[in-house]
Amino acid sequence: MQQSLRTLLGVAAFLLGWELLGRWSPWGYDVISTPTRIAAQFWNDADLYALHVAATARTATLGFLIGIAFAIAAALSFCRFPSLETVFRGVNVALFAMPPIVIGPVLVLVFNGDWPQIVLAALVVYFPTMAAMLVGLRDIDPRLVDVVHLYGGAELALMRFVRLRSSLPSLLAGLRVAASLAVLGAILGEFGSGVRWGLGTFLLGSLGESNPARLWGIGLASAALAMVGYGLFDWIGARVGRATTAVTLAAARLPDQIAWRDRDIGRRVLLLIAAAVLPFILWEVLLKVTHLNPIIAPGPLQTLAYLFVGPDAGSERQIMLQALGETLPVAGLGLVSGLAAAFALASLTVLRPGLVRAMLPAALLLQSTPLIALVPIVLLIFGRGVVASTFMAVLVVFFPAFVLLAQGFALVPRPARELVEVYGGGAAKQLILISVPFASRYLYAAAKLVAPRALLGVMVAEWLLSGVGLGNLLNVSRGTLDYGMIWAGALISILISIAAYQSVGIIERLVQWVGTD
Amino acid sequence: MPEPRAAPHHSIDVSIEGVSKSYQTAGGTVQALAPIALKIARGSFVAVIGPSGCGKSTLLRIIAGLETPDQGVVLVRNQEPETFRAGGELGIVFQDPALLPWRSVRRNIALPLQVLGQSIRAHEQRIGDLIELVGLAGYAKALPGQLSGGMRQRVAIARSLVTEPSILLLDEPFGSLDQILRRSMNLELQRIWMARQTTALMVTHSIDEAAFLADQVMVMHSSPGRIADIVDVHFPRPRAHDLFAMPEFHAVCDRLAAALDSGDR
Repeated sequence: MQQSLRTLLGVAAFLLGWELLGRWSPWGYDVISTPTRIAAQFWNDADLYALHVAATARTATLGFLIGIAFAIAAALSFCRFPSLETVFRGVNVALFAMPPIVIGPVLVLVFNGDWPQIVLAALVVYFPTMAAMLVGLRDIDPRLVDVVHLYGGAELALMRFVRLRSSLPSLLAGLRVAASLAVLGAILGEFGSGVRWGLGTFLLGSLGESNPARLWGIGLASAALAMVGYGLFDWIGARVGRATTAVTLAAARLPDQIAWRDRDIGRRVLLLIAAAVLPFILWEVLLKVTHLNPIIAPGPLQTLAYLFVGPDAGSERQIMLQALGETLPVAGLGLVSGLAAAFALASLTVLRPGLVRAMLPAALLLQSTPLIALVPIVLLIFGRGVVASTFMAVLVVFFPAFVLLAQGFALVPRPARELVEVYGGGAAKQLILISVPFASRYLYAAAKLVAPRALLGVMVAEWLLSGVGLGNLLNVSRGTLDYGMIWAGALISILISIAAYQSVGIIERLVQWVGTD
Repeated sequence: MPEPRAAPHHSIDVSIEGVSKSYQTAGGTVQALAPIALKIARGSFVAVIGPSGCGKSTLLRIIAGLETPDQGVVLVRNQEPETFRAGGELGIVFQDPALLPWRSVRRNIALPLQVLGQSIRAHEQRIGDLIELVGLAGYAKALPGQLSGGMRQRVAIARSLVTEPSILLLDEPFGSLDQILRRSMNLELQRIWMARQTTALMVTHSIDEAAFLADQVMVMHSSPGRIADIVDVHFPRPRAHDLFAMPEFHAVCDRLAAALDSGDR
């Protein structure tokens, strides 16, 4: 009771401070607005919100349901047939690393009506759900495998009695993330498809008006919509989790732990080649099935030809390279500074554990806020320049990295730190000798997780705000119906994302290799 | 109704001939078990004791059919382990109770019946009796998370008995319990075993646990894993708690310790 009273007072003080700052500081109205103005604007726009929110909620929900259906089916198949996971590795990594904003314009060429948003929501939901469930299905007590085998039960019985129920808490944690991602996917889809209703459309239309209160309102509404989904699965997860976690070890699950090894090297090479080729085969098959005009929807080879052998290949390549030159340094800068800030702040766990613990709930919440909700804030504070793009990248990198690293630092075994303490080592020694080396694998995991996001953040800012770089190029190509560029831009962005993701893994292995005696 | 106890050494429940097992590791091949031979009489309680890595758990897992030997013949009541266990004739208890955390005590005990495709309803009475037998009356609906370590291990023992197995395998069942709890669990295990008349094979680290429970103790040595000595223990049953303090008991323990030590030389 006292706890909730204190929270209530805290929120009230925050709102009051905001209100006063907004009213009386020189940059108040234009940048931070005030809670009362935002509320009044919201009240005025109530009819508009009803239509926009309903449209986004509908496409996000449909996409969510389709995406998790595929994800659950995939997780079950990958668990049953591990080679299948290797074959689909290319598809999975592509779906994990792709910046969804580049897929929107492509989906508009392939699907009609609300389907581009629905499909994009389904695509972004797939990976986190599949990965979470697969970890849950695989990570079971090996003794239970023995018990089931002892009574003659095979894989099917193991699935029925042990795996399915074991995976539930992990699956629900995945669905929690997926629900808020579905909202992001639906909104990003609206940017590309130009539909009449939806929060993305609303935001796009309001960016040009000088009405900060409305921009804040749209940002907060998208965040609220994402939080509804997050909260729902968080609530279910808490109810299910209580009965199961009491005797199972809650080990840290890193996204890159889904690895698969085969003793037979020839077979492994064959499977890996299949993994690399499969995404392109699926691309071709999709186009064949939909009977689209190859000019509007080129296959992988035509897309490469557009950049390298077509009549205007030289100038198209020039445009693409210039856009990349504008986008990549900003994304890299955002990634490195976001990660550095997250690592520095999370390492405070050792010195000031209370401080980090207090920040964690807010960071968890912000991590699941769709980055679209940040656009108005970034626009109002940083304008439309390169600083805005960089800051956008830092923001989308910082929160997930901080959460993961804080968890990593919190898992440092206490005896190891106490050992340093026994020999008179202070907090700084503990940090350098024990905590940082221990948390470094979380740093790599965080880098893999956020490297694709940094690119997405920059591209969203470019599309909506700064009007330069790859994000802008895609938006312009969409307007001028330059189909070749839309497909080539999407392909190149996905390949860069995958390369960034993979190179973190290579760096990690190199450092380990150099580090071992 | 339990049959009258068959005379030991007359009918053989487990027969092992020339069984060996090795593993490939990063450091090369590890011989977990040298070719060994072993016979376990019906109705007897046999303990296997030895240092870590002597292959005693591997031996137990081979008898359970959870691992296949490189060579040699394993017969359980004249059948292959896989054939024998298919009827639920084998029960097993691990060091970790390995309970399903989302199932109640009653439903955890019922799991083997479900895997075997038998009706739970037809066996409700038996499950209830087992809960009483292991001293968990009143906890049928409790979840494993609400129980103490010793209580969880008793659930695992009840689960291993639900199919009325003729052979019970115990892989360091009390290894994670403290010494005090361990001794009272030893007494309980003896009571349960005597009530059920099963053949029991128990792998343990503890010399006095082996001496207290077993009719026969097999002492194993490592690298490669082999049976170094077999010690018969002739204390009358039921053995009571004060046996732990008796000089005869300590003599058996000393004998076992000496047999274990001889492996170091």
